[in-house]
Amino acid sequence: MLKIENLQKSFGGVSAISDVSMYFAPGSLTAVIGPNGAGKTSLFNLISGAMRPDTGRILLDGENIAGLPAPTIVRRGVGRAFQIASIFSSLTVREAILGAVNAHRRWYARLGRRFPLAEAQAQADEVMELVGLTTTADTLSGNLSHGDQKVLDIALALALEPRVLLLDEPTAGMGAEERWQMMETVHQLWERKHMTLVFIEHDMDIVFKFAQTIRVLSYGRVLAEGLPEEVRRHPKVIEAYLGAKYDAEHA
Amino acid sequence: MRKSSIRRDALIAVGLLVLLAALPIVFPSKSFSDFVMRASAYAIFATSLNLLVGYAGMVSFGHGLFFGLGAYSFALLMQKLGTSIPVAFALTVLINALVAAVIGAICVRLKEIYFSFLTLAFQMLLYSLIIAWTAITGGDQGLTGGVPRPPFLGVRLDEPHHLYLFCCTVLVVSLFLMWHLVRSPFGYTLRMIRDNPRRAGFLGIQVWRIRVLAFIVAGVFGGVGGMLISLFVSSAYPDFAYWTVSGEAVFMIMLGGINVFFGPLVGAALLLMLNDLVTKVTEHYSLVLGVIILIFALGLRKGLLGFVMQAWTRYGSGVPATVKSAGTSGRN
Amino acid sequence: MLACFASASCLVTQTTGGLISGMLLFLVAAGLSLIFGTLKVVNFMHGSLYMLGAYFAFTIYNVTGSYALAVLGAALGVGLFGLLFERLFMSRVYGTDVLMQLLVCYSFILILDDAVKIIWGAEFRSMGMPAAFQRPPIIIAGGVLPVFYLFLIGITILVALALGLVITRTRIGKIVRAAAVNPTMTSALGINTTLVYGGVFALGSLLAGLAGALAVPVRSLVSGMGFSILIESFIVTVIGGMGSVAGALVGALLIGLVRSFGSIGFPLFTEGLMFLFMTLILITKPSGLFGKEL
Repeated sequence: MLKIENLQKSFGGVSAISDVSMYFAPGSLTAVIGPNGAGKTSLFNLISGAMRPDTGRILLDGENIAGLPAPTIVRRGVGRAFQIASIFSSLTVREAILGAVNAHRRWYARLGRRFPLAEAQAQADEVMELVGLTTTADTLSGNLSHGDQKVLDIALALALEPRVLLLDEPTAGMGAEERWQMMETVHQLWERKHMTLVFIEHDMDIVFKFAQTIRVLSYGRVLAEGLPEEVRRHPKVIEAYLGAKYDAEHA
Repeated sequence: MRKSSIRRDALIAVGLLVLLAALPIVFPSKSFSDFVMRASAYAIFATSLNLLVGYAGMVSFGHGLFFGLGAYSFALLMQKLGTSIPVAFALTVLINALVAAVIGAICVRLKEIYFSFLTLAFQMLLYSLIIAWTAITGGDQGLTGGVPRPPFLGVRLDEPHHLYLFCCTVLVVSLFLMWHLVRSPFGYTLRMIRDNPRRAGFLGIQVWRIRVLAFIVAGVFGGVGGMLISLFVSSAYPDFAYWTVSGEAVFMIMLGGINVFFGPLVGAALLLMLNDLVTKVTEHYSLVLGVIILIFALGLRKGLLGFVMQAWTRYGSGVPATVKSAGTSGRN
Repeated sequence: MLACFASASCLVTQTTGGLISGMLLFLVAAGLSLIFGTLKVVNFMHGSLYMLGAYFAFTIYNVTGSYALAVLGAALGVGLFGLLFERLFMSRVYGTDVLMQLLVCYSFILILDDAVKIIWGAEFRSMGMPAAFQRPPIIIAGGVLPVFYLFLIGITILVALALGLVITRTRIGKIVRAAAVNPTMTSALGINTTLVYGGVFALGSLLAGLAGALAVPVRSLVSGMGFSILIESFIVTVIGGMGSVAGALVGALLIGLVRSFGSIGFPLFTEGLMFLFMTLILITKPSGLFGKEL
């Protein structure tokens, strides 16, 4: 369970996140939407520890994680993937995922044995199988296609067995068909892993198809939240974000 | 399977040691064995620097600090305290580890060029201390009176042949340990941090701790190189701690290739040969070396061994060269 | 050292000595800082430019007998040298590994040190005080203040002011500041980055050459003399903040004074003190006293 209370963050006087409170139920699948500069990525940065909030609390199963360093928050069970795939370009897919497993199991500073550790193999294989990277296991990460790099980024986070997984625009920079494929993968691993999954997405068709619930951010504030149907009909959302055109087309 | 791969590498190491030990039968001249001993010291030193530069992406420009520190600690322990060689060896390792831990803790949080310069600045601090603290270090004259070489466990380092075997053993053991290190989970964590430290942090890796640990390991092996050189010349000179030592080490690893484990070894041997050759012909060694480095920096960037390996994989296996060349850094 | 604080004459002498060291250091550090701020490369051979300036001034003075000409010629000569170095060599390794930049600079340190030995000899040289400054020193509270010190301090303050004005008030300064923040943006705005880079490198080199020329009457010349000032300049820029002229001035004066007072009796301690100071700054304020975020 992830609960955010009165979160606040400003940069040099400009508010990026102001007084945001949100609740993500255990095992839920939530989309965070909003126009550019609404504070979606800032929200992820605050939750994952990339930035410290000015005030407010972030409760993970009742414990406040706000302001903790990123590695500590990862250890508490919050994984994340990035808008621009953040990978290890000179390692192969298998090596990178094994490295992530080592990080998760705290085997990453071991000096006495050889890489890969036998006990890490099974989990790495499972992760690769889950996201469909088995066939490219021995390809250098830097040589993967753009889409596969995004998948690998998610796979690295999955190797940490997170309770909460934050995906920042998993479909960014992809073609229409590839986007749907990617979301199918994401949806599948959400179903199989029973984790709380939050993703940022711009494509409204994808959002309404996959998200259980939606949070709308605008100018760093929560504009609306609720089930897709509620959000779709929310007057403020229609006005500020979706626009009259969308409403007319989809009403 | 992994157990056996360690065993296999150990067997290869023993084989190499036997080969090195047998070389004086083919090349009996003193200048040859002197060269091997000197090269051993610099090869260990350069390879230890490459742990930082090539594997961890930490461009230290003050690694000579540990070379100088190792040389002086060892020589002073032997000379002033009269300890046995193994004890002095162990204590020097400890001193280097402690100093590396302190300096590393200060330096590793800095961005790359700051890190380079700050390590260099700390090296010059040691250099100034050596020059100024004449009573202990002998100042700019270096340590006088020689480093005693008392026998231990039947090893008599005052005999040239024993000294030669000892240097070869230290070389092979050090290289074996470092080779093992870059193939351990720790070694792969270093590569991850080199490629993408931010992502490594978001996998729960304590990046700065790993960097400090890498700095300590490199400092210890850098010190082992320094110990060997002080044992070989039976003294310690401020030059061992001067910044040019770091410059030469950087050039050694670039010359041999930073993406290949044995690149620094080859680079060290090549630079020493070049040194011997040039100083025979002219007294303007710096000028010649400077021009060579310049040509190298503007032209042959991958390093000789890297270049050879790339050519070999390109023509030898038919795999696209781009893939392979990117891969070498990940594999070694 | 404590005894010195009790004596006014010693205090004055050490302070003025510290001030001129600080001023020379400022000129070198300001150039280093300016180049780093704009080009994002550390000119690792900056100390060699200082050395070159000193030797240029030495020769021009010996030939012409005019110290003014020597200072002017050395500064411009080194500025031109810096420009050529940047265009012909340094510009080829922008955007590559830091290692390559280090190597190119390293090679030039080696080449210049040996070239100086070949041209001017390996032994220490000194020029002595130029005729214009051979006057009795000013005595303040029993401490000596040579006339040349006043000249050196005056010139450096003028340079610092001019530099500050150029950077904060002029269009060139604006471009330099913009390039420091975002190099791609400036080239997108149609600003010729090649020109800016070359110009800034030349200016930084000129400052180092000027420092070298001003140092000749009070320092002895030897091949390799540039390296210790490079290290100190770096410490200065860390303390003051990379890219900040004001920071360079404050840092340089601090280091100059620490050095001057520490040198009486505790040379070991002085070095340690400088590093302790730098380390404290790095831990508490990693961007330096006047620096922006790294």
